[in-house]
Amino acid sequence: MRLVVIGNGLVGSRFVEDVLARDTTGKYDVTVIGAEGCEPYNRVLLSEVVAGRYDLTSLTLPSPDHPRLTVLRGTSAAAVDREDRVVTTTDGSRHRYDQLVLATGASARIPPLPGLDHGGGTLPVGVHALRTIDDAREIIAATLNARRAVVLGAGVLGIEAASALAQRGCPVTIVHPADALMERQLDTAASTVLASAMPHVGITPRIGVGAEAAIVADGRLTGIRLTDGEVVESDLLVVATGTTANLGIAHDAGLPCERGVLVDEAGMTADRRVFAIGDCAQPPEGATGLVAQGWDQARALAERLTGTSAPARPDRNGSGLDVVRVKAHGLDVVTMGVCGGARPEDRRQRTLRLSDPDAGRHVEVVVEGDRLVGATCVGAGQVAADLVAAYTRRTPVPRDPAHLLLNALATSAPMASGEPETLPDDATVCRCNGVTKADLSAAHACGARSVEDLAAATRATTGCGGCRDEVCGLLDWLDTHAPAPSPT
Amino acid sequence: MARPPQAVASHCPYCALQCAQSLTLCSGTVEVAGRDFPTNRGGLCQKGWTSAAVLRAPDRLTTPLVRGRSGEIEPTSWDAALDLIAMRLKEIRDTHGPDAVAVFGGGGLTNEKAYQLGKFARIALGTANIDYNGRFCMSSAVAAMNRSLGVDRGLPFPLTDLGGADAILLLGSNLAETMPPAVAHLAGARAAGGLIVVDPRASATARLADDGAGLHLQPVPGTDLPVLLGLLHVVFAEGLTDAAYVAQRTTGAEDARRLAASWWPARVEAVTGVSEVQLRAAAHHLAAASPSRGGSGAYVLTGRGVEQSSQGTATVGAAINLALALGLVGRVGSGYGAITGQGNGQGGREHGQKSDQLPGYRMIDDPAARAHVADVWGVDPAIIPGKGRPAVELLDSLGREGGPRALLVHGANLRVSAPNARHVTDRLDALDLLVVCDVVPSETAQRADVVLPVLQWAEEEGTMTSLEGRILRRRKAIEPPAGARSELWVWSELASRLGAPGVWEIDAALVFDELARASAGGRADYSGLSHARLDAEDAAVHWPCPATDGVPHPGTPRLFLDDFPTPDGRARFVVADDVGPAEATGPDAPTHLVTGRVLQHYQSGAQTRRVAELAGASPEPFVEVHPVLADRHGIEPGDLVEVTSARGSARAIARVTDAVRPDTVFMPFHWAGVGSANRVTNDVTDPVSGMPEFKVCAVTVARLDLAAPPTRAPATTGLGRAATATEVPT
Repeated sequence: MRLVVIGNGLVGSRFVEDVLARDTTGKYDVTVIGAEGCEPYNRVLLSEVVAGRYDLTSLTLPSPDHPRLTVLRGTSAAAVDREDRVVTTTDGSRHRYDQLVLATGASARIPPLPGLDHGGGTLPVGVHALRTIDDAREIIAATLNARRAVVLGAGVLGIEAASALAQRGCPVTIVHPADALMERQLDTAASTVLASAMPHVGITPRIGVGAEAAIVADGRLTGIRLTDGEVVESDLLVVATGTTANLGIAHDAGLPCERGVLVDEAGMTADRRVFAIGDCAQPPEGATGLVAQGWDQARALAERLTGTSAPARPDRNGSGLDVVRVKAHGLDVVTMGVCGGARPEDRRQRTLRLSDPDAGRHVEVVVEGDRLVGATCVGAGQVAADLVAAYTRRTPVPRDPAHLLLNALATSAPMASGEPETLPDDATVCRCNGVTKADLSAAHACGARSVEDLAAATRATTGCGGCRDEVCGLLDWLDTHAPAPSPT
Repeated sequence: MARPPQAVASHCPYCALQCAQSLTLCSGTVEVAGRDFPTNRGGLCQKGWTSAAVLRAPDRLTTPLVRGRSGEIEPTSWDAALDLIAMRLKEIRDTHGPDAVAVFGGGGLTNEKAYQLGKFARIALGTANIDYNGRFCMSSAVAAMNRSLGVDRGLPFPLTDLGGADAILLLGSNLAETMPPAVAHLAGARAAGGLIVVDPRASATARLADDGAGLHLQPVPGTDLPVLLGLLHVVFAEGLTDAAYVAQRTTGAEDARRLAASWWPARVEAVTGVSEVQLRAAAHHLAAASPSRGGSGAYVLTGRGVEQSSQGTATVGAAINLALALGLVGRVGSGYGAITGQGNGQGGREHGQKSDQLPGYRMIDDPAARAHVADVWGVDPAIIPGKGRPAVELLDSLGREGGPRALLVHGANLRVSAPNARHVTDRLDALDLLVVCDVVPSETAQRADVVLPVLQWAEEEGTMTSLEGRILRRRKAIEPPAGARSELWVWSELASRLGAPGVWEIDAALVFDELARASAGGRADYSGLSHARLDAEDAAVHWPCPATDGVPHPGTPRLFLDDFPTPDGRARFVVADDVGPAEATGPDAPTHLVTGRVLQHYQSGAQTRRVAELAGASPEPFVEVHPVLADRHGIEPGDLVEVTSARGSARAIARVTDAVRPDTVFMPFHWAGVGSANRVTNDVTDPVSGMPEFKVCAVTVARLDLAAPPTRAPATTGLGRAATATEVPT
């Protein structure tokens, strides 16, 4: 069987790995056609590169080396002939397929803003998307001379880009026309808490204000005019206003497309030999744009094609694939499931909220029956990590779901780190030998007056020896405060 | 023969730390004291201090027992018992072939016994089917160390080296309970704020990281591999690797780096529940302590918590990869190690009681290894069988079509210690012949057709190899009770009755000499050692210690300083991605069960449950439940709780504590009967090592509305009774 994969990005390359790992009978010969000249890399981490935290080589993903695999890099697919089952590339080569997988991904959407179209689809100098390794390289170069950067769009990528630029030392203004930052995930209350944290990390938020035009002089960006008339002087604009699925060849091949190539729950298009996964696909439940969904599709399709199926896994239940964590230094935002201001009313759901804006904290959980179906966490720390674990595994919620909002304080018995006087009698002082304060007090009452005496009488300190200081302290205290022997 | 009045220098009968002890015979009983030695520095835990009580166990076996026609087990003579065993073994062998007789050994046997048991299986019984309970203990670490480093020695450095390190990453080890005196060696890392404990539970060991002594990462059970891949991600992506070391001493780093590129911290957090902040902090601590960045040293150590998993080998491989990326392995003051569990877990796996190995850590399918060992045994290499079935597969095959019809058990209590324990009992009951050698009527002995009373610890001579690969002398301090015999003698008698080839020594020193010859040239080479040398130097030597013509070899405290025993001399990054635990939680079983140990008990509890002081301090099984989970199920402290998986249920008393995650309960596994955690655990195994997945399965938790608290049976029970040390009414 000839399996052709168009796209060698995060999802396409993962799919190829998954298929080859499962194809133990050697059913498939696989050809991958990838437009980018480099090996597959982890696009999710581009903002870490811009931030200066990671170098580009650390983004490279596994690239299987397999006798039945051919990878064509720097080669774009030009057309699909579904009748003859042939993919033609831009360099004219033809690749017959028995099954075809489209993993063509998406491109940054550039808004129709005056000044941005510099002719022929090119952008003015100083204006960039953040979608590819080349974008990241260009942005890093541009930060060297930039006095101020503007990020257009405060979705997840926009906020990550703004944070990365700020970490580079470049002052950043983030411009967002909606009423809330990340409005798909955050309501206004959560957005307000997030916005108030931004100035501390070098980001100036402009919320509810759009960009009216890019001001360009000599082909070079000099500023952004906002809809309220203000002009932000800037020589670097990062556009983060969403993505558009790469549908060209699917559309030309006559495959039904809306925002993506329409596929069924198993990734099949209207043509039973053609499949689509990742950002270019539009499954019945809708695309999230998150890599977790794309990887899940890759694995599910690999299992379908090779006739293998793994045991049910927690993240295969549909839940858990829509967890969003913003990777931005100093900004702690995690959302999952039901969240955001625009969500429909649902009477089966119960929403609980911890609102602590003065401390930069906002936690909201949405519970349906005994399940956590959504959460919004800003500045929540470990609580967010715990909620993600509960959400992805469908852990039954506590009897009072308010317990989800906060980590309870420790209730366990204290070890002997307190003062001798306040230490409870039943506190264990020597763990290795199970010796309590009461045991030591009793030995003291029987005449033990040195650590050696106490050790001989109780075995305290004779294991790892770590309690020696505590035993010395207790001995000193007993010497001065020992109560009169009790008549027991 | 009167024993000299002075103390006998020996070592503790329990765990792999093998704390040095002085045994003094006073008025016919042994008194125990700690003895100075680098590992325990004179210290002992409660188990060690009370260890002599096992010598005086009131139900000590002193006569062979045979199940008679009535089904009751009855005393008999040694000759009658051995004749019967030999006759039945011959019948079964003649009818079903030699592989129809199987042998199950233990990691508590001395080196001499482990060696002789492997030899007995191969050339007296002629069976391929021998394996041991170390398969439940060390096999994942073993497989990973062999693949990555070329040899498996739990700690390839002296334990005392840990003291100089600024950071120690401890994964799935609760050594504060399992080998308490070892905690002393963590003091340096704790003082530097660098003790990083990865455990789903705030165990006593995890608490050692409190108060600024380090970090506790508390992942969802079964997600240790993603935690490690996340740590590798941070180390690679932030450029914290020891690039020169990686280039000169390793291969395969690029594959490891690429896999780690797909495990960025936010993804790790979503899978494991360990926050990005904690993950990065842990990686930064380790990197800062690494020699390439000017630190004083760092260690990565694994224990059963991460190894007893269906992806245990991959997890240990990732831990080794982390140590390699940081340039730790084969450097003085840094390294990777696996903390061995059982007393002779190390030596027990070197001398041939594993299904695929011959003495000296030789592989049984290697023709040169077979020839060498056959020469020592005085047999034709062709009569040595090939690979047998690993433990879980072996136990599952008992009494089935094509499976063994007879089983000999030495130093193991399978009905408590094996996963899916009720199933194991069913398989044992399906046998035609079960022979158990033990010192007390363990739960497994209670099911046997023939029970042979054998020697223990201070009653015999031998050697043990500790967690740091050091060969220690175990010495006799007291005469055994009349009627009990050495297993070396048992095998010699049976070998003679079975008409076996070869010489069957019964003196441990002579068996050691033979073992040393068999190990010569192997990975674990003991050929430069003898009881006489170990006694004369009164020092313990780390293997390998090959024979020399002149000055004796000093032993090898630290491995890998110059190169790795791999074909190219380099360590290998072996890469495997996460596939998750075999059993995921879901609506039908929404809670994880993790199992482990308590300080007062050792393994199946067959010894420690018989020590009054230990049984008094830790009398019964319990289940730790988080307050939020307890509240959800209406569980109060002290309630009787039932924990149920797809395999079975266990009942225990609730301890309500936030030491466990709200999505997880914990049970210790030392008890038999309805309180046995291993009735619930999963017997799915790691595809590489055969290690069962003891440490995570999916369960439901419910309060049992029984008014009566569990009644405690006597600490010991007679044979032939179904009663166990702790019975809970059903």
